[in-house]
Amino acid sequence: MSAYSIPAEALAALGKANVPDALRSDRHLIYSSPATLAFNSPGANGFGVKRAGLCVPGSVMLLVSPGCCGRNTTLESVRDGYRDRFYFLLQDSTDIVTGRHLKKITDAVCRIAETAKPSCVMVCITCVDALLGTDMQAVCDEASAKAGLPVVPCYMYALTREQKLPPMASVRRSVYSMLEKQPRKGNEMNILGHFAPLVDDCELYELLKGAGIRVIREISRCASFDEYKQMSRANFNLVLHPESVYAAEDMKKNLGIPYIQMTRVYRPEKIDTQYRLLAQALGIDFDTGEYRAACERAAGDFRKKRGSLRIAVGECLNADPFELSLFLIGQGHRVPVIFGTVGEANFPYINALAKVSPQTRVFSNLSPTMMTFDPAEYPVELALGDDAGYYYDDAPCVPFRDETQPFGFAGVRLLLERMDAALEVTR
Amino acid sequence: MKGFLKTLSPFAPDQSGAVGALYELGGVIVICDAGGCAGNICGFDEPRWRTKKSAVFSAGLRDMDAVFGRDDQLIEKLKKAVHGDAAFTSVIGTPVPAVIGTDLRALDRLSERATGLPGVNVDTDGTALYDEGQRKAYKRLFDVFAADKYPVEKGRVGLVGVTPLEVSRLDADQKAKAVYGEKAFCAGFGSGLEEVRRMSANEYNVAVGPSAVEACELLRARFGTPYQKEYPFLPDDFDVPGANRTLIVAGQYAAEAIRARCTGETRVASWFRMDRALTKPGDARLETEDDFIAFVRDFMPDVIVGDAYLKRAVPDFTGAWADLPQLAVSGRLID
Repeated sequence: MSAYSIPAEALAALGKANVPDALRSDRHLIYSSPATLAFNSPGANGFGVKRAGLCVPGSVMLLVSPGCCGRNTTLESVRDGYRDRFYFLLQDSTDIVTGRHLKKITDAVCRIAETAKPSCVMVCITCVDALLGTDMQAVCDEASAKAGLPVVPCYMYALTREQKLPPMASVRRSVYSMLEKQPRKGNEMNILGHFAPLVDDCELYELLKGAGIRVIREISRCASFDEYKQMSRANFNLVLHPESVYAAEDMKKNLGIPYIQMTRVYRPEKIDTQYRLLAQALGIDFDTGEYRAACERAAGDFRKKRGSLRIAVGECLNADPFELSLFLIGQGHRVPVIFGTVGEANFPYINALAKVSPQTRVFSNLSPTMMTFDPAEYPVELALGDDAGYYYDDAPCVPFRDETQPFGFAGVRLLLERMDAALEVTR
Repeated sequence: MKGFLKTLSPFAPDQSGAVGALYELGGVIVICDAGGCAGNICGFDEPRWRTKKSAVFSAGLRDMDAVFGRDDQLIEKLKKAVHGDAAFTSVIGTPVPAVIGTDLRALDRLSERATGLPGVNVDTDGTALYDEGQRKAYKRLFDVFAADKYPVEKGRVGLVGVTPLEVSRLDADQKAKAVYGEKAFCAGFGSGLEEVRRMSANEYNVAVGPSAVEACELLRARFGTPYQKEYPFLPDDFDVPGANRTLIVAGQYAAEAIRARCTGETRVASWFRMDRALTKPGDARLETEDDFIAFVRDFMPDVIVGDAYLKRAVPDFTGAWADLPQLAVSGRLID
């Protein structure tokens, strides 16, 4: 049994309605390889529901679950900034059938409130309560009334990952749910989407400030709960991750804050288009020429220095692998393999790939057949993403998974710098 | 409050123990979950995941699978994942099948029919600890595969219960040979299913923790193979400071091996299963964080031997601490 893959051309010809079963995670068992642990279990690395819930300044989390769901939290609990922020109410075998644990939550919250004095308590629940049909909002409301501080549910329902409101979208709603309506300020705005800030040198900040925005808030840069509460003064929200749209919709409905959505892309012309559309929506002009020129110059210099490379692109990185591949191919590189999850959102990229690199092979990280993936069949000089690095353990790898988020032209420049550095080390 | 943890994180669960027992034996192992449990097991509790390939998969359950049961779809997916040299299939229980009442024994029969391979399902539910999962998995494993009687080979010693979670080290198979001779092996750790099939050829077995006792009893009843309770995996240079009162917080058999090196009054406390036959007056099974805090307060040890991660629960303890990493507690291996 060899690892299943399909050329981009053949995949595009099948169309998004006929994606082969081997690329559909609902049609086979899931291979939770070292490459994809974070994908299959969002809490395994980076920001899963648990860490994401704690991005509210001064918050603590009460995880209500069987012990197994909180197991990897041991890692988080020894990490700086999280050590004293996790509490657990473990369900036993009777609880998971009868739901009697619900009666203990208020008591646990009150104990936490007394000793830790947090700004709020995030109550994280798991598949068990999803199946029990627990009304955790009601439980949290009761706990909030008794403890005298905000208590908010976070739903770590892995079972619902492919539904309209998956866990990581839901937790984004949770973290903004404590904002209260107040008068908006015309020169303040929020960036929603990630749990860590954008790279400091992202041109987006300068462009917005140049357009008269004086305060740009990101939840991860809020130093206190009071500062977090000021996010409800924003004139508009800029949404940079699709899973934040539900939170933005909530803020539009409850706080009267409209939102504009942008997507992270790496092709310079597409970045430019997005900025132009953003400027139009705001009724202003952005001069992006200098930023774009610097970005294209960096790409050209890299190409000149390193030549045309064969690059494997994975999905465990801060990019859509198909869109990133289009950028790389546009720069004269070759992408023999992509490890990615095919979905409606990225099918347009696959259609574009079919035209410019029809023989690029698309693999699903989650397929059980990936146990037998043989890198010798598709040699590369560079791997992008933790997953691609796992499969190509002899090639230089750029994980490009920092928590600080690359975006815009600055994101492209950062990627090129990292690629150059990885190749330099190997050389 | 029972189940409330203020300073510690949950310890390794039963499903991790079950996977650890079966990991190297060539089966197709399906964690019957939505993805998170498989991530925790493979990414945290099973350090071999990064060095030794094993066909461990997640069932990738979704809410509708849980609502409607859909065991047939699970079996169909399992069938597709079975490869030519697979020796058995194993579905490992998690909270999801426990809540919806999945009959894992019935799934065993369905998968056997569909794949033609023996089924070694383990009815864990994620609420118990790793040792309970190991206990169930070893018992089922030997029940299914250690069926035939072979002539006994002198010097052949089988160590039962050896998993990374139990011994917190990855060189256990070499250590076993160093202690018991070249013919010694750890069942399912550096050895394959053939050794499990030939357990009746062992001169004797060694239970390295309480979770192995039932499996060893089964082998004794089936083949007359004697066994002893021993823990040969302490670090060679492990030194216990001399003290009037020593508290050892570890797996019970490991703790007994340490007790033999202690002077003064020594008590053993364990978060995991304890064997009554070895339990001494004053020893205790810990169930909650508060139990541990109270034990330390009441016994007032001069020295605590245990995983340094536990220090956070007793910040006022001023005695000496001899660190003994325990993977099942902190996720740390012995260096």
